[in-house]
Parts: sequence; C-alpha cells; structure tokens
Amino acid sequence: MASNSTFTSPALAFELVAKCSTTRARASILTLPHGTVNLPIFMPVATQASLKGLTPQQLEDTGCKLCLNNTYHLGLKPGQEVLDAVGGAHKLQGWSRNLLTDSGGFQMVSLLKLANITEEGVRFLSPHDGSPMLLTPEHSMSLQNSIGSDIMMQLDDVLVTTSPDKARMREAMERSVRWLDRCIAAHKNPDRQNLFCIIQGGLDLEMRRECCREMLARETPGIAIGGLSGGEAKDDFCKVVACCTELLPDLKPRYVMGIGYPEDLVVSTALGADMFDCVWPTRTARFGNAITKHGVLNMKKEVYAADFGPIEDGCGCPCCRPVDEEGSIGITRAFVHHNAAKETVAAHMLTLHNVWYQLNLMREAREAIIADRYPVFVREFFGNLYADPSNYPSWAVDALKGVGVDLLET
Amino acid sequence: MTVDTREFGSAAMSFEILRAALGDGAAARLGRLAFAGRRPIDTPNFIGITSRGAIPHITPDNVARHLNVGGAYMALEDFIERPQQYSTRTPPIYEIPPTAKHQTRLHSFTAMPPSVTTVLGARRLPAVASPMGNTKSSVSVFTSTGFQALTTAEYLAAAQSLQPDIAVPPADLTHSPITPNSKRALRMAERTDEWLEEWFSELQDSPTPVTTFAPVLPIPYPIQWEYLSRLAEDYLPTAQLAGLALYDPDLLPDLASFVPALLPLPRLSLSPPSTPHHILNQIALGIDLLTIPFINTVSDAGLALAFTFPPPTTPPNNPLPLALDLTAPRFATSLAPLTPHCPCGACTTHHAAYIHHLLAAREMLGWTLLQAHNHGVMAAFFAGVRATLAQQDGAAAFARARGEFARAYEAGFPLGMGERPCF
Repeated sequence: MASNSTFTSPALAFELVAKCSTTRARASILTLPHGTVNLPIFMPVATQASLKGLTPQQLEDTGCKLCLNNTYHLGLKPGQEVLDAVGGAHKLQGWSRNLLTDSGGFQMVSLLKLANITEEGVRFLSPHDGSPMLLTPEHSMSLQNSIGSDIMMQLDDVLVTTSPDKARMREAMERSVRWLDRCIAAHKNPDRQNLFCIIQGGLDLEMRRECCREMLARETPGIAIGGLSGGEAKDDFCKVVACCTELLPDLKPRYVMGIGYPEDLVVSTALGADMFDCVWPTRTARFGNAITKHGVLNMKKEVYAADFGPIEDGCGCPCCRPVDEEGSIGITRAFVHHNAAKETVAAHMLTLHNVWYQLNLMREAREAIIADRYPVFVREFFGNLYADPSNYPSWAVDALKGVGVDLLET
Repeated sequence: MTVDTREFGSAAMSFEILRAALGDGAAARLGRLAFAGRRPIDTPNFIGITSRGAIPHITPDNVARHLNVGGAYMALEDFIERPQQYSTRTPPIYEIPPTAKHQTRLHSFTAMPPSVTTVLGARRLPAVASPMGNTKSSVSVFTSTGFQALTTAEYLAAAQSLQPDIAVPPADLTHSPITPNSKRALRMAERTDEWLEEWFSELQDSPTPVTTFAPVLPIPYPIQWEYLSRLAEDYLPTAQLAGLALYDPDLLPDLASFVPALLPLPRLSLSPPSTPHHILNQIALGIDLLTIPFINTVSDAGLALAFTFPPPTTPPNNPLPLALDLTAPRFATSLAPLTPHCPCGACTTHHAAYIHHLLAAREMLGWTLLQAHNHGVMAAFFAGVRATLAQQDGAAAFARARGEFARAYEAGFPLGMGERPCF
C-alpha cells in the first residue's frame, strides 16, 4: 500500500519526509515493531547481543533506535534453543528498541575457511567441533525468527566483488534471488518481522540492474545493497550504489551493508542510501581511536597525555559535552590516554564517543536534507576533514559530482 | 557514655558517632562521615577500589548511576609512571585544572562523580611487593612502567596538588605476607613516625590543608607504641590528625586500651578482607570504612555475590555459597535476577541468562554488570549491618546475626570459571 509519501507493509511503515533538490539524499521516517527510526541512519553493531561494554541504557542514551546483532554469532552463543527459551534477542539483552540481523552467510564466508556454497546452502565446519554443518535459507530464517529481529536479512550468496570469475558472479546473483524465494516461503512472522532482500552482482552494473529488477519483483518491505566493502575500489563502490538507487522505488528503505567510515556515510547518503552499519567505529575505539570531524585521533599518542580538553571540542556525547551540562561525564583526552589499552573503561568511553559521533553525523545530515542544504553540509563535512581541498579523495569528488555537488568549486 | 561518643571534625570533614561501642574497648559502632560537597557516608561502610583512577569496568557515568559507593580509593602509583621516551615529563594529573563540577585535580582527572569521597594512598590495594624496598626518604612504588622511588616530599606535594578528601601519608610497609622481624618492624615504626612528623610540619605553613588519616602499621602494638602515642599527644590536640588508616584492624583492641584518645577518630581499614566473614570481623573490631579488593576480583572471575546480612531467617541445611558462578550451564535460560530481589542496576534490567551469555561470549559487558551487581550486594550487606546495629540492642543483635551468618554461608568463595573477556 502506498500513498504519495508513505508505504506500509504488515511490520513496517516508511514515510518519505524530504528529498534533496540537488543530490539523491532523502530524509524519512521508518516505523518498525520496536519504535520509530529517523533515516538516514548509522546502526552500531552489537555482534553478540552486547555493544562492546556499553549497557543498553548507555546505548539508548546515544539516541540509538536500531542496532545490529549477528545471526551467526547468536546461533552459536547462546544458540537457538536458549533464544527460544528466553523469548528472543530483545529480551536476552534488555533492549526495547529495534534490532536488525544479518543472515549469517557473510560470517560463514568471511570467518570460516572451507565454507562451501551449494544450491542447498552454505556448508561449513563447526568452529566448535569441526563437524560439517549446513546453513540454508530456511535455517537462517528459522534462526532470525527465534532472534525476533525487527529487520531480517535474506541469506545470500556472497562473493568478493573483486572476483574476476564472471560466471561465478552471475551464479551467485541468480542464486541469491532463488534463495530470497526460499527465505520468503520459510519466514514465519511476516506480520512482526521484516525481511529485506539483498542486491548482489559484484561490480558489474548490468548484473546489479538485473538483480534489482528480480529482487524488486518480490516486493520485500526494504532493500539492501550487498556484497560491498570487500576491498573494491571506492569508485566502483559508489558506482554500484548509484546504479542501484537509481532503480529503487522512492518509498522503501535502502540499506547499504557493511559500510561506516564517515566519508562513506556522507557520500552514500548523497547517492540515495538510507541505512548503514559497520563494526569499525566500535572496533577502532578499542584500539584507542577517537572519530572526530577533523579525522581519527589515536588517543594512545603522547601528545594527548596532558591534553585536558574533551575528546572532541563541541561534541555532544556524554564524555565530551561541557562539564556544566546535564549528563556530562567530563572526560578529558588525558584520562582516555591514561587508560587506553590499560583499563576497559577507556574503550567504553571511546565506544560511547564514536557511536555518538556516527549517529550525530546522520542526525545532522538528516537536518540538512530537510532544510534542503545537503550540498552545503557535504562541503562543510569535507572541509572539516581535510585542511587542503587538494587532499579530498577523488572517489568522493567524482561520486558527488555525479549527483550535482562539486566539492572543489570555490 | 564512653570515650568515643564525641563528634570529631574540621571544616572539611565531620565524623559523627551515632551509636558508640557499648562498654569499653573497640567494638562495632554506627557513624556518619561527611566531607564538604560529597555525599555523606553512613558507617560501617565500604569504598570502591579504583585501578588507574577508574572502578574497573565501570565508566564514571555508571558509577553515578549504578554503583552505590560513597568513596573511592586511588593509588598515586597509578598516575606517575615515567614512559621511557618521556621520562622527564610531569605527571599530567598534577597539571589538570579543576572545573566547576570536578573541584579537585583528582576528581577532575578521573572524572569521578563529585558525590564520591576520594581517598589517596601511595600504593594500590593490594600492593605489589617491591624488590627494591623503601629508603629513608622514599617508598618504592610500582607504576605501569616499572618500579620507581616516590619520595615522601613528592607524595605530600601530590596530596596537596590533587586534594583528595582523605590522604593516607606514606608508611614504611613491606607489602609481604611474611611478618617482618622485630628489627625491621622497629624501623618501619621509626620511619613512619619521622615521615609523619615531616608531613605535618610541612603542612603547618601550607595554605592547602590535607585531611590526614595516619597509618597504623601491621606490626605489634609494643613496637609502634611511641609512634601511636605521638599521634594522640601531638597531632590530635592540634586537629592535624583527622582519622586512622589501619593496615591491621586487630590492633584496635590495643589502641582502645592504651591510646583511647584516638577512639573518636574515623577508622579506615586498608587490610583486605578475604570474605564477608572477615568483613564482619573487621566491623566487630570497630572499623568504620573498609576497602574490599575481592569485589573486583570475583567480578573478573565471573562470580555474582549472593549473600545478605542478616542471613536468611530459616537456616539452610547446608551452608549457602557466598557467590554464584554465572558460567554454570543452569543459568543459560534463567530469566531470574542474579540473586532474588536484588535492587542493583544489573538485576533490575537484566537476568542471569544474559550475564551467562556475556561470559560465554567473553563480552566486556559481563564484567560491567557483575561489578554493578557485586558492589550492589556489598552496599546492601553494609546497610543490613547498620540496620542491625541501630536496633535497640544493637551490639547483641549484631553478634547474633554474625553468628548466624557464619553458619548460613560457606567459609570461602567458589572458584569462578569466568574467562577474561576479549578487550
């Protein structure tokens, strides 16, 4: 069902609020079973039903309305039986907001050697005891139904985009379409869980277009662009995203899987994508790195030992906001430096900061889209990140030029 | 009316004894210790122990939100390392400016919530024994970059700069489980005596006061009697001495007998109790404020403290465990709180199954939630102790409940199977 600006399906409503008059950026409201989510959005990854040391309350306080769990990990620990007994992943982790789960297929291929993909599913050896196991579309759906995620992902045949084997790439794309059909048939809770399709096809734009057409015909409530962030050139990545968003309907959420550097988010938003996820902001926090609008700072460096400013000036996260403001913790770079790689609290504080940074970047992007000043926002963003425009990454300059923004224009 | 019913205090600190020990000598008592600008601490109570300025695994916002602790112990050795390439740098903590919210350097550097009272000592609790030993004018401390000498002068300067609510002056300690021979013990007393004399004479002309809890050494009373008498005769009347920091609470009966003038002072124990039974023993001896390193240790081992004071009214057939090993399979699907009716932040939001999962998955949040629970159990334990002492016949009620506690619970902690989570 769709009006001019709203699409509804049994477990989801999508309302398009604004479109940038220059780029393809969109602002929208996605309503899911566990509440409303403003798009575009960055989704932090709580791989094993926990966001790396943050309590669900701390995560909620960053404004996060939708985070990820990984099906593969939850299938191993705590396992499907426990998930069923506990009543799903929301109850397991005390998270009352929305969850998105991947299909488990990506981890099979990326984490496990000897994963072998057949028409039936992904064959792999159990990391526990080495016994042969099989992840099928049906099993992935069953696991994700037990998890109870608000958005589930289809099992897809993932191949690194840089694979030169065209025939194998076509097979993977076509198989992903067939597996979507099996996922739809096996999905037990379409009234309260949304199943998103995943567009495959590597870097071959024609194959991507073909996949878009096939996937769209199956009318899932949301659409993901998959197989990216696997080492392809950024130019190629942008071309794929742009090529897909051109074909996608206005009134469905578009999720680009596995990307998360701030530049990627800002450019992909300009190319018309709405949702992103990545482990990088939380992983890099554990390595002592803080994301700021002027770039990534390594807090372990001696220059921060006696730096008594906040992690980032002007940041509104609980660590950084001015000490006299409500909810401020009053963390200094010096204290983070003091404990980086020594006490877990340093990792927790940087995780809090980095998650806030990513969510806030998308909040500001959204405000800019609604005010129809997204191109200005994009220029400011790159201006902050690079002191000298000649250092702007050419992939970003080119991709943005393709949607009407000239970063180098003076 | 006994000798320790007086109120003791200064501008910065007040210690009110609400119910003194009955009869003569040292025994459990009720009090309230308050520092200007901090949340008052009802005693007997405990303070948290920090590592590098942080309660392990608990960010400062969660200290304020989930941890019912009135105080935090901080070790100077956690802040003064000399990284090889920057060996001449001034420790940054000496240079951080205080802010409107965090009005001392120690609070400001560690972002410890302003409500929390801070205690500064030279060494961590428990401290690593140094192979170098102390000298006439320095204690050997263990920093993240190795052992180094901390002069008594630098330590005093640090206390003045950092402005902890309570400072424990340097003591000549061995930090070894082996009892020092009498010659060494005598030197410990003499050095500590000299160091304290220097400490107070330096402070006399100083514009920045330091609330001082004098160390009481873990050696027999007869070896340190001169030092302890000086505390009572020289520093108590001048109000330079604000409290006692005992490295061995078993000295309290002797103090009560021989230097009763010291009894009104608040008593902080720096002797690590190994179980709650030992905690009750320290309370019974008259300790007001305890430091309990085992809380952090059991959390790291995946254990959830599971005792209450007073103990359950119906005595169990078999002694109950003091803690539960959350890695046990029986918790995999348990939607119950870690312990029944536990009001801690972890139990009100989560259930045993989640903690079990986090430990199995080696997720850092497992530690955080166990720390919240274990500090919560300890806070409730002390609240129970105080409520018992506040009864009409408090001393007898406490002694009775302590006996019941000894029968109701096992003597030691179970071995935790929790593995160190992935960083």
